[in-house]
Amino acid sequence: MYEGVRSPLIYTPRTIGEFATVIRRHPQAILWAGGTYLMSQPDYYPGEAKDGIIDLSHMEELKRITRNDRYVEIGAMVTARQLLSTGRLLLPPILQQTLQSLGTQVVRRQITIGGALCISDTRLSLSTTLAVLAASAEVKLYNDSKVTTHWIPVAKLYDKEGKLNLGSKSALLTRIRIGLEFGDFQRFVLFGDPIRKSSECGIVALHAKREQNSLSKVQFCVTFPRKAFHISKDIESKLSGSALPIHPEKVNSLSYELVAELTKMHNTISDLQLERARRIFESFLHDLNSQSLS
Amino acid sequence: MKIECTIDGKALTLSVNSNKPLSLILMEDLENQSLASYCRGNACGNCVVLFNDEAALSCLIPAFRIRGAKIRTFESFQRSRQYRDIERAYKAIGNRPCPSCFNAKTLIIESILQDLTTDTGHPSASTPSKEVVLDKAKVARELSLNSCQCMDMAELIQIVEIALGYRNRRRRVRRS
Repeated sequence: MYEGVRSPLIYTPRTIGEFATVIRRHPQAILWAGGTYLMSQPDYYPGEAKDGIIDLSHMEELKRITRNDRYVEIGAMVTARQLLSTGRLLLPPILQQTLQSLGTQVVRRQITIGGALCISDTRLSLSTTLAVLAASAEVKLYNDSKVTTHWIPVAKLYDKEGKLNLGSKSALLTRIRIGLEFGDFQRFVLFGDPIRKSSECGIVALHAKREQNSLSKVQFCVTFPRKAFHISKDIESKLSGSALPIHPEKVNSLSYELVAELTKMHNTISDLQLERARRIFESFLHDLNSQSLS
Repeated sequence: MKIECTIDGKALTLSVNSNKPLSLILMEDLENQSLASYCRGNACGNCVVLFNDEAALSCLIPAFRIRGAKIRTFESFQRSRQYRDIERAYKAIGNRPCPSCFNAKTLIIESILQDLTTDTGHPSASTPSKEVVLDKAKVARELSLNSCQCMDMAELIQIVEIALGYRNRRRRVRRS
């Protein structure tokens, strides 16, 4: 079967310098991290990879986890399983919960952090959580003979539909940086299957800090794979500085404001997805209230 | 592309397309009988193999990643001592998975047992390698990798518990 299919060339750079040489010669080549998403596409094999595949698994520089007092830096080729086992005491609970939601342990051995963030057309839960944790990503852009390095907030890596937008076709996400000052209220809910049933799926994450009886540093993101990657600055600013507990009427009005905002900006989200996201958002705020009263 | 690897203990040099999934290589090029389906990314979980001694979905491994790797399919696993532990657990319960998912489920159980009995630490085990307390929710999540519903999850968890008992007993005997 498929005997006539042309075998794509595989390039295996070992350093970022070698990668730069390869990507300049083959700007259309597919960057291969863990490959779990690429291989789970129905049209993967036999498929087209005319300009070859760049296998990133030999680049040791992308497999490091380093930390200092203020932040932790995670290489793009670190797998979800490695991050869960080595960072169990270090990482915020919301990130651990997100990594566990990516799949079973067998699949987590293969999923890489960079790969999960750089899927071109759909957003998985990791992007949502890193956006609310205000993480940033180091991106190297290869234009002609010039290499430029940028630190870009994860929230700004995607457009409003959730499509990856690195600013250049020849780009490499090398590591992500997460600050170690977390808020004490973190919530993450994933409903549906983001890969197989993306039309029914949604991801909601909230991160905030409670100071005495008020909220600060509120970060909220709701994602619908292939449809929307939504960060509501309006709701974040309305919640920041709010006194706790938040009045139930305000909770209700905020949740409907979220629905109105989502409907206005993204018209492909189904009513069921909207309603589920709204209720999850409400439950987060009720949770916040119950914690502040206890 | 020429790729050298070890499959079921045999050192092989394969000439295959560089991006061909391992599951297709096993089924088409090697005519391995223990794999029966290619779900094209639908995550049926029926193509589990031991890749460098760790369970992996062979439909998610491209040919260029198997260079130098040690791959073990159910064909050779069923001749090992480890398989006896799981087989005895099936007998003790009096039930076993259906023929279409039997191989995959057995290898997933083996992967769980390996994680529970190695000293590297595993979220399913509160005290690895000594007296292991099974985290049933996490074991159930691992078992859900295979989508076949032929067996009750409670029964499968019981099988893991019993097999873990046999495995620990065998390890203790070997140590003493």
